[in-house]
Formats: sequence, structure tokens, C-alpha cells
Amino acid sequence: MPGRSRYWQRSTFRVLTICALASVAPAQWLKYPTKGTPRTADGKPDLTAPTPRRPDGKPDLTGVWLGTTKYMINLAADIKDEDMPFQPWARDEYKRRRATESKDDPSALCLPISVPVKQTITSPFKLIDVPAKEEFIMLYEGARHREIFMDGRQLSKDPEPSWYGYSVGRWDGDDLVIDSNGFNGKPWLDINGHPSTEALHVTERYHRIDFGHMSLEITIDDPKAYTKPWKVKESPRLLPDTELLESVCENNQDVEHMVGK
Amino acid sequence: MRSAIALSICAVGLAAQLFAHHSFAAEFDGSKRVTLKGIVTKVDWRNPHIYVYLNVKDKDGKVTEWACEGGPPNVLMREGWTRTSVKEGDEVTIDGALAKDGSKRCNSRSVNLADGRKVFAGSSEDNANNAKQ
Repeated sequence: MPGRSRYWQRSTFRVLTICALASVAPAQWLKYPTKGTPRTADGKPDLTAPTPRRPDGKPDLTGVWLGTTKYMINLAADIKDEDMPFQPWARDEYKRRRATESKDDPSALCLPISVPVKQTITSPFKLIDVPAKEEFIMLYEGARHREIFMDGRQLSKDPEPSWYGYSVGRWDGDDLVIDSNGFNGKPWLDINGHPSTEALHVTERYHRIDFGHMSLEITIDDPKAYTKPWKVKESPRLLPDTELLESVCENNQDVEHMVGK
Repeated sequence: MRSAIALSICAVGLAAQLFAHHSFAAEFDGSKRVTLKGIVTKVDWRNPHIYVYLNVKDKDGKVTEWACEGGPPNVLMREGWTRTSVKEGDEVTIDGALAKDGSKRCNSRSVNLADGRKVFAGSSEDNANNAKQ
């Protein structure tokens, strides 16, 4: 099938391109027509067009996506404080962080922000499907990336702790489900300061509703910080005709002025 | 060019939040608003926040340099900014929130350019209104 072959070849090219660009984020194509974008009669991207699909029928989730930003301050914005399933120490620590107005947030030192909140912030993420490599690549404007392996491998039961963890994915019907573990517990889950530990397990369920819209359910399962899993329901939208821009955090001069209370 | 100061502080009950990755409240007081009119001396166009430095002259002629931060360049570029939207020598009026530590700093909500254009500076009160505090 020539069409399918070309698709896999394109996919291989994509992963090579990604490797080349991962450390040198493109900053030149803020506005650039994206090939394959369905358009209305006036030439604008048709964001309600049907979900694009791969040759094997699975949704093609590739694109630049932006969350609503609702959850970047508080990942648990839809959960009442009294209903948050904190472990006692986690509740105390969260209260302390709120009382001091998050002045100790490690992200102010330009350290990485948490994986769950990265899909909700004001900077977009780019999801790239690479079927030929059985892999998804998640690029962020902060010049960081995640690899989501789709080849059936399992998460380690004793992973080396890391800022971004390790991710494997699978299809559940038309949903892409990503499981991640191996986090180091250092980043706060959000600006408000919901804590996490090395026991954090994150599940992301992506469902492309149509060309321009996606639903994303994030499950936070960290038994050392929370007595039961809790969920975040985000609604990323496609940013058409653009690419990621560089956004390297450097020497945040705010830090010395973050006095809090 | 004469630069007049228009400094006003008022309580507005808004909890402004940065288009950024860390706490606004730790650094700025969203209830203390400031409007600064002055001449731009420098623009520091970098992450995680841009900074616009401006000399503001009070009614007695005394000049004070203020530093007002905006959002990160990648967010501002999607709002239509370029690195030359505000440049040295421009007369601007910045509306924002005051720093808590008493330093001559503000978090910019909007910047009015000399040609009359008003540009959003990357501070989002909408985010704060969306989120449970």
C-alpha cells in the first residue's frame, strides 16, 4: 500500500526531525500554514472538521495543543478543599505553601514544572505520532520533551526517580492512554503547591473530539500524598498554523522579591 | 519629551496572576494598582518574564526608575507582541500591580504605547478567576 508506506516514511522522518529540533526549539514559525489542515471557504482552519485518522483508522493526535489554563494555578480547581483526599502531612504542607503564597515554589528557580500541569499551562504542547517507531513524542515550549512508548513495554516497578518520569501508552478504542511513573516528587503539582512524591502515577487519557478539540482526563494517583486517586478534566484546543516557540527559563529575577506572607 | 507621572494606587479586590509558572501573590499585591507613565530606558526580552524599565518623573521633577514585568516572550508573541513592540525611548503608560517588598517594581497588566495602541502585557486576572484560590 503506497499510501501507508509513505505514512510510515513520513513518520520516520518526523522522529528524525524531532531529534534534531528537540534541543533547538524552532522560533521562527509563529504563523505558518500547517499542511493537511481542513479549511473553510474563507481559508480559515476548520476546527470542527472530523478528527483526522491514521491509515490504520486510529485518530491522528498530532498537533500543537493548548490547555484552558484553568488548572495551572490549582490542578484540583474542581474539587472542594474539604473533599481533597490529602494524607495528613500533605494537607499540612499544602496549607503551609498556601499560607506563604507559594514563595518557595521550585519552578520560580526555573526548575521543571510537574508533568500533570504541563498540559494545562499558557504554553502549548506538541503531540507527534510516530507510528513507525511505535512512539508518541510530546514537545513543550520549555525545550523539554517526553517520549511515550507504544510498543508494549511496561513501566518499571523500581524506576530511577526523574523530573519527567517515564511514559508508556496504549490505545483504548479511540483514546490514547498514557501511564507515567518514576517521578522524583520535587516539582509542585501546580502553583498553589499540591504536593507529590516518588509514588506518583499519572494517567492521561486523550480523546480527539474533532479537528480542533480534545478532551483530556488526568488521574493523579499518589498514595503517599493522597488517600485515593483524583482527576482533572482538561479541554485542550488545537492551535492551527503555528509551531512551538522557544521558552527557556533563565535567571528568574523575581525570586529575590518573592516575599510571600 | 515631558514625562508626567500618574501614579495611583487603589484597592480593587482583584487577585491578578501571571501568565507564568510561579506564584504572583508571593511577589505582587493584586489589590494595590499602579499606573506609571514614563520613558522606556531598557527592555529585557527574556524568559521567564520580560522586563520594561522606565523613568518616571514626579510632579517635583524627580525621576525614579521602575521595573515592570510582563509575561514570557512565547506567550506575548502569541498576543501579537514582538521584541520591538516597546523599545528604549518610547513613552508608555503601564497599568499593573505593585511589588510587595516595596521595591520600584510592578507586574504589568497592560501597556499603552505612545501611538495610542494598548497591548496586553501577560498578566492574567482571568486565570485567577478561573481557579479556586
